[in-house]
Amino acid sequence: MEPRKTRREEEGASVGRLSALLAGQRPDRVPLYLYGFGFCTRMAGYPISRIYDDVEKSFWAQTWTKEMYDSEDLIRIPFITHGTAEFGGEIKMPSSEWSQAPSIRSYPVQSEEDVAKLELPDVRTAGLLPMLMEFSKLQDNLGSPIIPCTVGGSVSRAANLCGVDKLCRWMIRKPELVHKLVRLITDHFLDMIRYWVDTFGPERVILFGGCATESNQVISPKQFKEFAFPYLKEMGEKALALGIKHIFYHICGEQNLNLPYWAQIPMGDPGIASFGHEIDLTTAIEYLGDTCIIAGNVEPAVIQTGTPQQVYELAKQCIEKGKYAPRGFMLMSGCELPPMAPPYNVYVMKKAVEDFGWYD
Amino acid sequence: MVSRERTQELLRGLQDAVVAYDEERVAELSKAALEESVDAYEAVMSGLAAGMEKVGELYVKQEYFVPELLLCSDALYAGLDILRPQIKVDKEMAPVKRQIVIGTVEGDIHDIGKNLVKVMFEAAGWIVHDLGSDVKLERFVEEQLRTNSDIVGLSALMTTSMLAMQKVIPMIRAQDLNVAIMVGGAPLTRDTAKLYGADGYADNAGDAVRQAVKMLDRKREGQAT
Repeated sequence: MEPRKTRREEEGASVGRLSALLAGQRPDRVPLYLYGFGFCTRMAGYPISRIYDDVEKSFWAQTWTKEMYDSEDLIRIPFITHGTAEFGGEIKMPSSEWSQAPSIRSYPVQSEEDVAKLELPDVRTAGLLPMLMEFSKLQDNLGSPIIPCTVGGSVSRAANLCGVDKLCRWMIRKPELVHKLVRLITDHFLDMIRYWVDTFGPERVILFGGCATESNQVISPKQFKEFAFPYLKEMGEKALALGIKHIFYHICGEQNLNLPYWAQIPMGDPGIASFGHEIDLTTAIEYLGDTCIIAGNVEPAVIQTGTPQQVYELAKQCIEKGKYAPRGFMLMSGCELPPMAPPYNVYVMKKAVEDFGWYD
Repeated sequence: MVSRERTQELLRGLQDAVVAYDEERVAELSKAALEESVDAYEAVMSGLAAGMEKVGELYVKQEYFVPELLLCSDALYAGLDILRPQIKVDKEMAPVKRQIVIGTVEGDIHDIGKNLVKVMFEAAGWIVHDLGSDVKLERFVEEQLRTNSDIVGLSALMTTSMLAMQKVIPMIRAQDLNVAIMVGGAPLTRDTAKLYGADGYADNAGDAVRQAVKMLDRKREGQAT
């Protein structure tokens, strides 16, 4: 079923607020970007796992939710276990009442010796990649102007190969092993990007990467500089050289000390950078506002457990801080929209952009 | 009998070696402490544990991060493995050790934060009953009934799994009214902890033991009044 066009789309007021921002134009108002996945399955009446294991249901659950909230989300299959199954490990789809996302059952790397045995997988057949491609082809068939390609933070996804604890220990004791893993993951991402670009053309492909293990709740800025920064920079440069126009990173959690490095990572013109609630939006704009659309950062726990008034107030504060960012701003949850968030609390984020987000 | 100066030197050495995550040095000094008849309990508490307390402070100050913390905990365990079997247990004189049941709740496999909290409690001399990750809610109740611990500590990293805390806290209280319940994990806040009926909350592993002790003091004062 095709989503109904919103009143504003029918009026031609907004062909897509995100598209306007990407084209360097100011939209009619601040766009809302939910960053919701499990939440969408709730809206559609599906189990959470359908987002991750059912191309059709995942696509429509997100499309319908986007329509409900008039949001600008890139519709895609989130892929936080990326790397594990593709390099030979095992993942488990969310099945418990309390699960939010797929989890890792076994890592491809159990020992130092295993690192040398790893080989780059074939992106056409490995792990969940055929499903991701099927999802992108569905979008292509429906004429979507944007085809997201989900990659990830190089350190975050290297952790999917051996586990966060091992990766952390090796950062100090065996840095050469960490470089080897991050190198492999970066090369894997570049293979994937080339595959998507060859299939859909570079103009339509937007890269998305979530970067959580890179946060300063886990690693130091020095470790970020050594193990994340050069690889993210290289991936950005090579992706842009392939003709990709925009790269979207979710800079997850507390990354204040990493911001000087993030500011040097190429993300396109403009890039998109979203932030956890731990980073003040004014600071985010100082570092990345000249090159990126800034998105964020209503605290997810408040969206889930707070009152509508609290969510509305936080959303208002975000809009006030971000609205006039040089390359634009989107109101967004500070991390994945909690799947169990009360729908009314999400609605008041829309209400906040309607009340405070219009440009003169 | 080892001199007080030499004892202090060994204890300081143990502290520094834990902070420097120097496993070999910790093992070497732990053996030296035993050979020179330093009391094993003192070596653990004033050497290893004191070092780990400094590590916690460095983490809170963002001078240390998870990689350093993990290696410091490896150094701590290298010392504990040597010293712990030599601690003299006089059941009548020994202080009653505090105990905590700890685990990451059902639906959530993230255990790094929980493991770091475990290390901090062990370093502080607590008995830790670690249930692991993705722990069925009933297991927390069963383990608390079995161990009669002072605290049940619940960890979650996901916004969905944090909801399990709201369910398990009344289940634990229904069986044991007096136990203190502490929660932690990235999506949690002090307000959420309160909303869910927890007695305490720690923002990070480095602060967990301090918050736990405060929580028990508050609870005791509350019971006394």
